[in-house]
Amino acid sequence: MDFGLSEIQEQLRGLARKILDDKVSPASLAAYDEYRAPRFDRELWQTLLEAGLPAAAVAEEYGGMGLGFMELGLFIEELGRSVAPVPVLAHCVSAMLPLQQFAPAGLRERILPAAARGELLLSGDFWTGLSSADPTRLQARDQEGALILDGECAAVPFAREADWLLLPVRRGGATAVVLVDTRDPGVTLTDLQMTHFEPHCRVTLAAVSVPAADVVVASCGEELLAWTRERCAAALCAQQLGAADHALRMAASYTSERQQFGVPIATFQAVGHRMADCYIDVECLRLCAWQALSLLSDQQPATTEVQIAKIWAGDVGHRVSYACQHVHGGTGIDRDYPLWRYCLWLRYNEMALGSSGAQVAALGQRLAAGEGLFS
Amino acid sequence: MKIQFTPAQLELRDELRAYFRELMTPELRAECERDMGEGGGPLWRAALAQMGRDGWIGLGWPKEYGGRGLSPLEQFVFVEEVMRAGYPFPFLTTESVGPTLAEHGNAWIREEIVPQILRGELLISIGYSEPGAGTDLASLRTSAVRDGDDWVINGQKMWTSLAHFCDYTWLAVRTDPDAPKKHKGISMFLVPNSDPGWSCTPVHTLGGVRTNATFYDNIRVSDDHRVGELNGGWKLITSQLNRERLSLINFGPVSELFNQVVHWARAAIGDDGQPVAAQSWVQANLARSRALIECMKLIVYKQSWAMTAGTLGMADASAAKVFGSEGFIEVYRLLGEIVAEAGLLRSHSPGAQEQAGRIERLYRTASIITFGGGANEIQRDIISAAGLWMPRASR
Repeated sequence: MDFGLSEIQEQLRGLARKILDDKVSPASLAAYDEYRAPRFDRELWQTLLEAGLPAAAVAEEYGGMGLGFMELGLFIEELGRSVAPVPVLAHCVSAMLPLQQFAPAGLRERILPAAARGELLLSGDFWTGLSSADPTRLQARDQEGALILDGECAAVPFAREADWLLLPVRRGGATAVVLVDTRDPGVTLTDLQMTHFEPHCRVTLAAVSVPAADVVVASCGEELLAWTRERCAAALCAQQLGAADHALRMAASYTSERQQFGVPIATFQAVGHRMADCYIDVECLRLCAWQALSLLSDQQPATTEVQIAKIWAGDVGHRVSYACQHVHGGTGIDRDYPLWRYCLWLRYNEMALGSSGAQVAALGQRLAAGEGLFS
Repeated sequence: MKIQFTPAQLELRDELRAYFRELMTPELRAECERDMGEGGGPLWRAALAQMGRDGWIGLGWPKEYGGRGLSPLEQFVFVEEVMRAGYPFPFLTTESVGPTLAEHGNAWIREEIVPQILRGELLISIGYSEPGAGTDLASLRTSAVRDGDDWVINGQKMWTSLAHFCDYTWLAVRTDPDAPKKHKGISMFLVPNSDPGWSCTPVHTLGGVRTNATFYDNIRVSDDHRVGELNGGWKLITSQLNRERLSLINFGPVSELFNQVVHWARAAIGDDGQPVAAQSWVQANLARSRALIECMKLIVYKQSWAMTAGTLGMADASAAKVFGSEGFIEVYRLLGEIVAEAGLLRSHSPGAQEQAGRIERLYRTASIITFGGGANEIQRDIISAAGLWMPRASR
């Protein structure tokens, strides 16, 4: 039982913080508000790639750092803290990791080194619905060794920017998972307007042919799906942790400066106590999120722990967002002050892959079936 | 970072669980139930001495204090298991006052008192609060006055829980009535409850638990009974309270209760002919409780780890206390809704069910720790000041 960061973890977090502090500012983020430009800072992305951070959990043989999901999660926490405009969750968590874990050797060697270098951008359709449910909507039929796909994915992050999408498909009674080339003429992308301005598209497939070489798993894709969605949910929790912690620090520092009735408003017990409750909330989220990352990093069963972390991510995100806005007064919602972007991301992380209510229902069903009790 | 037990820690937990399964005989269980879950009976005392002989009480204490030299985390696992087994463990003596005595006590205390604590033969009650000094503890008035080589102690304490079967009281007294700041005139003493000047009257509480008012009438003790520096007692009080805050949120019993309620809800058939656990609101209550208790577990494990690393911060000890104390109340309510009206029957009533009867009592006793051990308002003040560096109003 070790809650401390190892030397490598400290270094990785320090490196991420330094790059993000240098390159991300309210001014740089303002360029993407209201979809004025796709929320993707390619220069920052390049710097992060050169530092090796997006490939932290990719094996060294594919050009990664060879570290674990824990280390990738700590990097994602820093992204949450800075609400950085880069596709780490889409590219790394919902595509590179499952490819590394499940794809045949030939496909791994073809895609992963280029993806680790950033020459190929990947995304996956694992971010909607509930982490424990099978959301597969695409239909596949076999035709001369290829799979022909039809159907629609509701919201895929960075689909327009990506070269390849990792998509689960229904194939007869089974689930397959395939890579789809976004330049295929059968692929139609419809840009969505999301609450947090991150690029997302509805992806419509009409008779898209996937050759056997691009099939990641031909059947029994449920395992890949569950494996990936648990990691996506844990990544959202890590991102939520960074965002919530930063919003809280902003509010603590604002209330310590802001004077009313001749004293800092932090000296009013009602304000101090609301911030103390946020502190406890963020600590709970930190412990649950880190536990989920730690277990997943060791390839341990973590369904219960991920569900609990996502319940906290939803509850804490909601409470911290509104408490921090409230103690800021009008300043908190003024777009010239940086808190408002955090509120949008706290909302996105809360809702993606199952809200607290949905996760409570899912965990409750498992408990009623005798699973997930205390050991 | 590895938020999992090591194989050795898992083995220790299994060993302890088996040990306490054997130790908790039906007779001992019945005696503890009779004593409202706070102990003090002859079988309870014998079991404590047994734990001491078997070397469990000081598992995580340093070897130079007579412990086994494992870490605070192993110590916490021990307390978690003993309490999960339903034994009312005197953690105030062993987990909070005891380590403070071992760290700050003089030769007599380290050589005479501490070994008896580790043998399970000596119990200590805590004398802090007074009729006029609660949350503002530093305004206490019980006094110790120097007389030759001795001290003469006079005053009254409130809420001296367990004092009626303890051997000593860990007593906060005023030794310098003229100190410019009132918390700088306080010293700590270990006062024998067997002294003829010591007396106690019971205070009966909502939860059925007995606590006490204790009286100190010209009690004469030698300077050996003073702990730590003269007028330096405040530091010992806060250090003891930080340890107490952690012990108060032991989640062993509540996680065991949770598991029992799940088993019950899966087996019991409701009015609709379905298992109670099939109802969606029951599942939601279970999931909410499970998520809360998981956080209690992680908070105490992290703090045990931080104690080992020497990094336990004030804000985190207070956060644990607030979260744990309010979390227990929430969990008892959520689980109490599931057992429904059965949770209104006291455990000795005809028709009482085991878990429901326990929830009936826990629901009545749970309010103690939101104000005991330092009111949660004070804890929140500490969190915003020490955890978030927010300025606070002067009092």
